[in-house]
Amino acid sequence: MSVAALPSEGAGRAGLRLSLILLLAPALLWLGLLIILPHIQLLALSLKVKLGPRLYETGLTNYTEFFAESIYWSTLIRTAFISIAATALTLLIAFPVAYYIAKMIRGRRKNLLFVLALLPFWVSELIRTLGWIIILRETGLISLGLQWLGLIDQPVELLGNDAAILVGLVYTSMLFMVVPLVTVLDSLDDTLVEAGYDLGGNGFAVLREIIIPHAMPGIVAGCIIVFMLTLGNILTPALLGGKNSLWFTDQIFQKFIVRFNWEQGAAFGFLLLIVSSLVVWIGLKITRQSLASTMT
Amino acid sequence: MSPAPDLDIRGLVKRFGRFTAVEDVTFTVPEGSFFSILGPSGCGKTTLMRMIAGFSRPDSGDILIKGNSTIGLPPNRVAANMVFQHLALFPTMSVAENIGYGLRRRGHSKSEIAERVERMLERVDLAGSGPKQINQLSGGQKQRVAIARCLVLEPALLLLDEPLGALDLKLREQMKVELKQLQAKLGTTFVYITHDQSEALVMSDQVAVMNAGRFEQIGTPQDLYYRPLTAFVAGFVGNSNRWRGTVSAVGAQTRYAAEGGFELIGQAVSGLSVGQPVDLFLRPEAITLSRGTDPEAAAANALVGNVQSLLFDGGNSMAIVAPDRGGGSITVALPQTGDLADLTPGEPVRLSWSAEQVTGFAAASAA
Ligand SMILES: Nc1ncnc2c1ncn2[C@@H]1O[C@H](COP(=O)(O)OP(=O)(O)OP(=O)(O)O)[C@@H](O)[C@H]1O
Ligand SMILES: [Mg+2]
Repeated sequence: MSVAALPSEGAGRAGLRLSLILLLAPALLWLGLLIILPHIQLLALSLKVKLGPRLYETGLTNYTEFFAESIYWSTLIRTAFISIAATALTLLIAFPVAYYIAKMIRGRRKNLLFVLALLPFWVSELIRTLGWIIILRETGLISLGLQWLGLIDQPVELLGNDAAILVGLVYTSMLFMVVPLVTVLDSLDDTLVEAGYDLGGNGFAVLREIIIPHAMPGIVAGCIIVFMLTLGNILTPALLGGKNSLWFTDQIFQKFIVRFNWEQGAAFGFLLLIVSSLVVWIGLKITRQSLASTMT
Repeated sequence: MSPAPDLDIRGLVKRFGRFTAVEDVTFTVPEGSFFSILGPSGCGKTTLMRMIAGFSRPDSGDILIKGNSTIGLPPNRVAANMVFQHLALFPTMSVAENIGYGLRRRGHSKSEIAERVERMLERVDLAGSGPKQINQLSGGQKQRVAIARCLVLEPALLLLDEPLGALDLKLREQMKVELKQLQAKLGTTFVYITHDQSEALVMSDQVAVMNAGRFEQIGTPQDLYYRPLTAFVAGFVGNSNRWRGTVSAVGAQTRYAAEGGFELIGQAVSGLSVGQPVDLFLRPEAITLSRGTDPEAAAANALVGNVQSLLFDGGNSMAIVAPDRGGGSITVALPQTGDLADLTPGEPVRLSWSAEQVTGFAAASAA
């Protein structure tokens, strides 16, 4: 009996392993086909140096060119800095909003406000950005309004500068900051805040010592998402920043689509990946968080 | 002039909409004493405590801590600290950081904070636990950290909102004794909320019994137990046999006809008239139980019956006796000496108790 039972048990285990593989297959395929394979391809492509028509050798020229030409690396640095600024600004605006939604109101009004915060994302990013153009352009709402109030006597062009890019990026990113913050602040026990006051803390001390440490995983998660989205955004800087937006994704786009220089485009893409990973890594180190703790 | 009491509450009222959660509560707590507020769930204990701590404003009345009114002060300026029902230790801080939190707010130097925190940890028997994280502590240790976190600020008043509620029974028994000893050692005034009468009786100098937003009685644990002033206190504090009934005669003694069909004789009570509905209370340990079939002639109250069942619980063992005449049953404490340990269900027994042991209160007219 017991001998007969053994093979079937073995078969059972093999069956288990098979079902596990089948279960993971979609995720593995997705990872492999859409993320890992293209990146290997990109890496290979970026290391190819074009010598003449259909004549290539392997080398780092695509990368050295990036450092040789100041417009390239300065654009990347500029893109990273504006993205960091946009992330910080989004956090500053989203935090009070999230705190209000999570802690100050209850019941139906809370859900209503949350939905209200989601509402702008029912229209596409393109339409939203066009909305900002309508507001900010020379004949736009703000310009006309200021003229009507008599504060200025000529129309002002508010598009085409870094501030306009920032406004657009922050607006586009709000949701991705508010949602993780509301989630994490929702889980903060009200009595912790009360204890913070009871033991002699003022609002600032309670915020710094109790609320922010508790919210840290949400803050970091929100910042990573927003930073990545901003850094990779191409539409908003192009539309609001105008011709000389000098956004790095725009340059990658130019390389691939306009110049057909896929090799250089791939190298730029890799550099963007390295810079974004580096910034996130530094951010995690500074806040002493781990990627794992922000995802739970 | 005697010094101002640590806490002086005058005519405190708190309403939520049309519901009155705390109704005209007045009491004082002298310095260095252990004062408990005992009441069933939802009677307004936490609401009262939150007003004292400064988290909510009373609709009327005054709160004085060491003679100074705290009405309108924010919680961080009220000289009372609170141990929360679920402790509310800061999980993102270590034990030492938790205890040092209040001192940091007062702007003490780092070295002084470290020294005072260490001294406080010693006093609550947690020396060396400073660097531990909160989730590394046992339930009882967390308890002591929560208390230490308040006491390190040397508050005039420590408010404790059912701090033992989350602990298991064994630990609760142990912490009861520890808390009482800690309070006696430190001399800090404690105001302690609980719905557990044994906690209140064991630890307190004074107990206030609260019901539906009102204080029913304030007194020593002995007062509440032996001389309850209202039916609610008699029923809530300690175990009692309880009957509805009516007054059948007044005079040197009061006679009651209890609902079960038997007669009880109690002491003269002023203010009761014949025919009036009453609530009657008789403590299980006030009843003398003996073997036999004929009633004891000498006692004011005597009856015979049969043992219905026995509830063995060590020193708190009880017998439930069904009287021969009338219905119902009477719970009787078995003598601690173990004399009647061999009692069996069905055995005939006789019960007797004196007139002082029967307490009657006029029943609420609405009932
Ligand atoms: N913010 C509030 N709004 C409306 N009603 C409230 C509010 N806070 C408390 N109450 C009501 O006041 C009454 C007393 O509540 P409280 O929390 O003081 O009870 P408690 O005696 O502490 O009970 P427990 O022993 O269960 O903690 C309850 O009926 C409760 O529903
Ligand atoms: Mg309560």
